[in-house]
Amino acid sequence: METQKQTLSERFYRGLLRLFPFDFRGDFGPEMEQAFREQRAHVQAGKIGLFRLWWETIAGIFTTAPAEHLSMLRQDVRYALRMMRKNLSYTAVAVLTLALGIGANTAIVSVINAVLLKPLPYQQGDQLVMLHQRADKLGLANIPYSVPEIQDYRQQNSTLSDLVEYHSMQFMLLSKDDASRVRAGVVSDGFFGTFGVKPILGRDFTPADDRQGAPAVLLLSYEYWKKHERGDPGIVGKTFQMNDREHTVIGVLPPVPQYPNENDVYMPTSACPFRSNPKTIANRNNRMMSLFGRMKPGVSVEHCKSDLALISSRMVQQHPDAYPKEAGVNTAPVSLRQELTKGATPMLLVLLGAAGCVLLIACANVANLTLARMAGRERELVLRSALGAGKGRLLRQLFTESLILGLVAAVLGVLFASQTLKLLVDFTARLTPRAREIQVDGYMLLFALAAALLTSIVAGSVSALYSRQDLAAGLKDGNMHSTAGEHRVHARDILVICQVAFSFLLLVGAGLMLRSFSKLRNVDPGFVPQRVLAMTVDLNWSKYMNKPELARRIANQLLDKIQSQPGVLAAAISSSYPMDPDNLGGWNRTMLVEGHPQREGQKPPLSSMRSVSPDYFKALGIPLIAGRVFTESDDDKVPEVVLINRTAARHYWRDEDPIGRRVSFDQGKHWVKVVGVVGDVKEFGLDQPPGDETYLAQAQTRAIGSIVVRTSQDGLNIANQMRRAILEVDPQTAIPNVETLEHARNASMASPRVMTDLLGIFAALALAIAAFGIGGILALTVNQRLNEIGIRIALGAKPGDLLAMILRQGMTLVGIGLAIGLASAMGLTRLMKTLLFEVQPTDPITFAGVSVVLGAAALLACYIPARRALRIDPLRALRSE
Amino acid sequence: METALTPAMFQVLLALGDGEKHGYAILKEVEEQTDGDVRLSTGTLYAIIKRLLIEGAIQECRHRPPVEEDDQRRRYYRLTAGGRQVAIEEAERMERLIATAREKHFLKRLKPA
Repeated sequence: METQKQTLSERFYRGLLRLFPFDFRGDFGPEMEQAFREQRAHVQAGKIGLFRLWWETIAGIFTTAPAEHLSMLRQDVRYALRMMRKNLSYTAVAVLTLALGIGANTAIVSVINAVLLKPLPYQQGDQLVMLHQRADKLGLANIPYSVPEIQDYRQQNSTLSDLVEYHSMQFMLLSKDDASRVRAGVVSDGFFGTFGVKPILGRDFTPADDRQGAPAVLLLSYEYWKKHERGDPGIVGKTFQMNDREHTVIGVLPPVPQYPNENDVYMPTSACPFRSNPKTIANRNNRMMSLFGRMKPGVSVEHCKSDLALISSRMVQQHPDAYPKEAGVNTAPVSLRQELTKGATPMLLVLLGAAGCVLLIACANVANLTLARMAGRERELVLRSALGAGKGRLLRQLFTESLILGLVAAVLGVLFASQTLKLLVDFTARLTPRAREIQVDGYMLLFALAAALLTSIVAGSVSALYSRQDLAAGLKDGNMHSTAGEHRVHARDILVICQVAFSFLLLVGAGLMLRSFSKLRNVDPGFVPQRVLAMTVDLNWSKYMNKPELARRIANQLLDKIQSQPGVLAAAISSSYPMDPDNLGGWNRTMLVEGHPQREGQKPPLSSMRSVSPDYFKALGIPLIAGRVFTESDDDKVPEVVLINRTAARHYWRDEDPIGRRVSFDQGKHWVKVVGVVGDVKEFGLDQPPGDETYLAQAQTRAIGSIVVRTSQDGLNIANQMRRAILEVDPQTAIPNVETLEHARNASMASPRVMTDLLGIFAALALAIAAFGIGGILALTVNQRLNEIGIRIALGAKPGDLLAMILRQGMTLVGIGLAIGLASAMGLTRLMKTLLFEVQPTDPITFAGVSVVLGAAALLACYIPARRALRIDPLRALRSE
Repeated sequence: METALTPAMFQVLLALGDGEKHGYAILKEVEEQTDGDVRLSTGTLYAIIKRLLIEGAIQECRHRPPVEEDDQRRRYYRLTAGGRQVAIEEAERMERLIATAREKHFLKRLKPA
């Protein structure tokens, strides 16, 4: 009975000892048990003495154990720092690669968090939807809405608590001193309330503002207010002249992402001269508005979808003239969050994948470096372990080291991330309006910390796992240089294979983007962009509306003035210019071709339109293929004529000559003659195939949207001269945009370029880390096999054989890594399909090229340590044993 | 000494002053020499022993008592020359402290012998 009780208390005491660090227990545990046993044996009889002994013992352990842990940590940190200082180059490489990995991930995760994960910055953003009117059978996905349609949806739906309309227009804003063009969002009453956005100054629109004939009022966007009104707190009540009416500012909006456009100002529908026109209001076919809705609580997108589908099918039945059966018109809601981020999602996910790969490679590298260093300290470790220094102690040491590495890397990584974030924000801003929500925040720091911990744990446990297994083996063997650490050799091999495989993936990704980008860059835009200046010109249109004579005169004056400027080779007025960032999507009309009756159910031909003055083709360098271009005599006194592009000519007339044929843009009421065919132009971006294009004569449409000028010197140099010339003709003109067409062309390639650059940087990083890893491993192997190699040399091994032996060892790993990388790349690059232009995700050239580059880099990395092996002095190698 | 000598450490040094002792013996000695005022627990004692070993103030001694008095699980410690010096310095410091306290009448003056 007595012995049993003793064992129980001893067991309990031994359990308490577990609170001490492993080493402390190893050093003093048995002794402490003995001392406690003696204490117990001599304790004064009676319950009180025993209770007192236990109490003092437990209290003593609970106060001393944490202190022991702390002192051990301090010792470990000091030791780790000393080891890091001693291997400064290893440490620097490990910290830097890890910092880049953590930094890249932190930056990209910040972007993803802000853009894809965080809730929309609107009240209950998940209830917000955007309505898409589609004509499925015509392949049209986003048809705007007309006023009668909006009224139908608003009155008949049962799933939306709010349904508000929006469209955006550009107007001239005239203040006392200058004219500027503003982008105005035209919204129905309750628009901002639907989003839960409240003005930070002044008031929101009211139903009274939206009534026909109400005094015109404006809300300013936060950005416009800050930039153009310098954040004037007294802005409410200020008036602007716009569309020949006085507009009063009633408030300023908070900084929120604006969609679909970043507007400068907002006005109610009553203030928009187009939207408030009674003809617009009555015409079911006059479609220009977008619709946003808030779903009632508890309503799902699916539910809302069937509700709206019912209304559209009813509309199709009631108004067969507005919705031809063959069009297949219907309406579907899309969640606003999805709508806002659809452009950014694929790119961000690919970047996340790439950054993740870099981090994994860096992680493998740190694990490898730790292993390599452990191998260098093998004797010490084996000895310490044999002396009972405790495996736990060694593990602790390893984790402390990798944790310190990780934390230092995290600090550097956050610095790196916050520095590069601006670049990423600019990039993301091209893809989603949510880019403005990206910022350096607590999440970012938290993520960096988590990444550091994770990498420390991964790197630490990989090395710990293997060190643990083979220390005993090393001791048994005695010969630590050649055979100790079979397991570790395997571990290192696997790490190298992983590095090669991940690098391959990244390089393939970057290579595909590069190939795609170079294809894009080599696309013939169909015009000669060098030394062409394009200016968006906004006349105060209300002055010229319904005054054809005045409009004709101003066009002539403008052209004469521009053409008389020195350095101008050709100039033309046009409605827009190729790759005009304000004209993406263009101006489209359905076209009837004489002699080609439209068949039932067939998609009516849609043509992109542009009105141009005669020298447009000369200024842009667009070739004339057949017939003639416009001349001075194609004015409003003669019948209208059109030019078409080559694609349209092939499309409608195949092998026939289109010259002299007729087309109609008003369902056959008027027919106009085709007088010429010109070359195709990539109007909306280099990656877009050319569609059917029709050119109208500017003198017959009188549209003035921009001026294009071919100059004898660099375009932008004479931009100011042109600006002055235009203002001399009409000082109330705004020239919001002046750019060279070369710039417009480059800007259209900006996202693929940034994407290519980023992936390229990641891939280069991965390649460098992997090459370093391979080289480091081989150098270590050579070091460990020093005496074996020495014997071989002494026995007369040929240098070539030795070189081959070492290279074979390295390149076998590289080969396995390449094979794994190849197999996974085959599967994974499919995810990049939407980002690629005219390049298949499994493009054999890219795959082959990457294999060669990676193989060559690896070979070089192997060659350096291999050469060192050849220079080994056999005598010294043998003596070193 | 790198770290400050705590009163408990000083007690341990004093306990070893008259010869080598094993853990339990040190505990007993400290208790006796303080009339039961200071009772060290095993945890506290061995944290102190570890410190003193690192500082070189004590060392484990190789020769053990006759077999009939010994227990293999015990380890014996003795004061090193350095450890004795540390204890002496500490005692002298205390002596000076006491002298000051007497001068300032915190303590009664010692009667001349």
